[in-house]
Amino acid sequence: MKRRGRGIACMWYPIGFTVAANPSAAVVKVNEDGTATVLTGTVETGQGALTVLGQIAAEELGVAAADVHVVSGDTDATPMDTGAIASRTTYVTGNAIQMAAAEAKKILFEVAAPMLGVRPEQLEARDRRIQVIGFPQKNLPIGEVANHAQVVMGRPPLGSASYNPPTVAMDPETGQGKPFSTYVYAAQVAEVEVDDETGEVEVLRIVAAHDCGTPINPTLVEGQVEGGISMGIGLALQEEILFDDEGRQINPNLTNYIMPTSLDMPEIEVDIVKNYDPTGPFGAKGVGEPTSVPTAAAIANAIFDAVGVRIHSLPATSEKVLMGLREKQKAEQKRIPAE
Amino acid sequence: MVIKVEDTLRTDRLTDLKEAGDSAGVPAVARERGRAPQIVPDANQQTPAVGQRVTRPDSRPHITGQTRYIDDMSFPNMLHMKILRSEYAHARIVNIDVSEAEKMPGVVATLTGKEIPVNSFGPSYQDQPVLADDKVRHMGDGVVAVAAETEQQAQDALARIKVDYEKLPLVLDPLEAMKEDSPKIHGESNIYATKVIRKGDVEQALARADLVMEARFSTQMVEHVPMEPHATIAMWEPDGRIKILSSLGRITLGRADMARTLDMPVNRIQVVGTIVGGNFGGKNEITTEPVLALLARKTGRPVKGVFTRKDEFVSSTTRHPFIMDYKTGVMKDGRIVARKVRIVADGGAYCSWSETTLGKGAILSVGPYRIDNLEVKAYAVYTNKTTCGAMRGFGAPQVCFGYESHMDDIARELGIDPLEIRLRNVFDEGSPSPTGQVLHSVAVRESLDTVADRVGWKEQTQ
Repeated sequence: MKRRGRGIACMWYPIGFTVAANPSAAVVKVNEDGTATVLTGTVETGQGALTVLGQIAAEELGVAAADVHVVSGDTDATPMDTGAIASRTTYVTGNAIQMAAAEAKKILFEVAAPMLGVRPEQLEARDRRIQVIGFPQKNLPIGEVANHAQVVMGRPPLGSASYNPPTVAMDPETGQGKPFSTYVYAAQVAEVEVDDETGEVEVLRIVAAHDCGTPINPTLVEGQVEGGISMGIGLALQEEILFDDEGRQINPNLTNYIMPTSLDMPEIEVDIVKNYDPTGPFGAKGVGEPTSVPTAAAIANAIFDAVGVRIHSLPATSEKVLMGLREKQKAEQKRIPAE
Repeated sequence: MVIKVEDTLRTDRLTDLKEAGDSAGVPAVARERGRAPQIVPDANQQTPAVGQRVTRPDSRPHITGQTRYIDDMSFPNMLHMKILRSEYAHARIVNIDVSEAEKMPGVVATLTGKEIPVNSFGPSYQDQPVLADDKVRHMGDGVVAVAAETEQQAQDALARIKVDYEKLPLVLDPLEAMKEDSPKIHGESNIYATKVIRKGDVEQALARADLVMEARFSTQMVEHVPMEPHATIAMWEPDGRIKILSSLGRITLGRADMARTLDMPVNRIQVVGTIVGGNFGGKNEITTEPVLALLARKTGRPVKGVFTRKDEFVSSTTRHPFIMDYKTGVMKDGRIVARKVRIVADGGAYCSWSETTLGKGAILSVGPYRIDNLEVKAYAVYTNKTTCGAMRGFGAPQVCFGYESHMDDIARELGIDPLEIRLRNVFDEGSPSPTGQVLHSVAVRESLDTVADRVGWKEQTQ
């Protein structure tokens, strides 16, 4: 018989390296038409990082994402970056890019101020314009200012900056310290169906709520969550590298190392929890790794809810679930008092 | 506020509407049910840019098959490299004979570990050879590289390489590996990293608790399985500089590792991070880049190396199996007053990112809960298995399975609902973390409430 159950799990996860310095540097160049080019030493690994980084630069410069081109991944051309690791790109590289863009914007403001007859600190960059705060009708297109800066004033608007998350070393005896600048939080609920004759577990639905600070790009956040859940399902139910007694992997191929495919994916519902981290770029933190953290725990708890079997070792294969069911049956039989 | 799923279907295009008072800059949505789709402005052209569902510049080439990964690239006179891996999980290398292999058709050059200027690397400890020279410590260790005109010729030549080994006793179980009389893989102990967190008085708090629960949880070794395996092309340029096209996710540090292993100035090395077909932490350190560089110098030709799926499994890093012992003291109302955690992380043959994974795992192992009395002890241990390193979650999926399974067992024992016991213990804004850090922008309670609302948790419980 198929039995349904649900399980909940929550987690916390840090952004960036544990104590160790993990800086990012960035260069932002505003071109003479008001478009911009960002130089970053991080690498796009498929998560959409460059899109997010471009949006951060665009926001600071008051332009649209399409106005920014991001150059990445060439040690000859781009500045130092600790890389696409530790869920740090949006937060650490993002902060560096925001700061570099602010430097470039400062030059734009200094050039625009006399053109608009105000002081630079009275200006803001919005909707592709440099405008007077409180008097948006007093404005100049950013392209006009950028062109004037470069061609007339001889001051190409560019900025460079670096950011390293502030941490405090951990005491070696007690572990007390501030290992990370910030953390993200999440909870997931798994709904499963367990066949109590075969031990097979099917995940029907995962509901996920993730805090990432400000979602710079909600579509990419949702994509990360869905991808992380697929890895979490593999960890929970089926993936495992097996060794023989000589230390040889016995399933180093995709025929015998079974990953979840699109057909195994349950219904996934993603909520982005509203939050704002003042230390991140426009309140953003990150989301890459935490998405795969609570899934296996939620599934294990759902299995218990369905059939009363506590999984102590992952993956929760059919064999383990069935063994658990048998042990439970035996224990229940023993409890029947003898006549 | 949360963004509701029904509002965020992929087919949606968003307007530049902003919700009033929404400081996070999350845009409202344009979709209206039951109506014909309306034409809305392109998110990529909208200001403010943050919060927009901007499309990725690389999505069109990906979908139309125009993206060029390293394996799609070719250069004139390019050679192909294959690596002979160890026959044993633990053995001393007595002799390597490549003479027969070098006579094979198409073979242009071979390379052994002795030809590598500084034959070691690693992000924490440089305990890993680029190619094993005196000893192999797991079956994925590379021993000899061959560069040939075609991949098949390079592969065929591997069979003609003769390596004499002297087998050594091996250890595969991390708990066995911790014992004093176990075979040693590096140096004098297999325990190469220890992390400790202490807070309050855990023994006293356990003694005063209404209930003490104990359990052991363990997790398995898994692979990242990126669609694109590790891939590199090395070119030794006429000006004496080396150019590496690589699937690495960390090019700045990859360049530093290249400079160290090749004993070259940093400014003579160019690392280009190409479009990557999945990383998930597995492409965070160099693998065969120095080998390819040296073969390119030896032959004067570009050399490409792409891992087979088997190479990817046996020689790239994997996720650490953890053995976790939890002991938790709790009061009748569900409040956790003490927690002891012991973690043994099976690191495989080399340290890689184990030292840092262990640190992160130890900190996170307490869970997102306010617990005043703590003791966490965590150990990373060498075994003669595939090296474990960085993988999405970095120790967290393992410990989350531990602390959250344990939490449900505690809740059941006390007769408290699993959601309720979590809400009674979770961090709030300003809570101290296990390391004494004052936490800010905490949203674990909100996350729990959000999922509970969506599934109707409380209604079903009653």
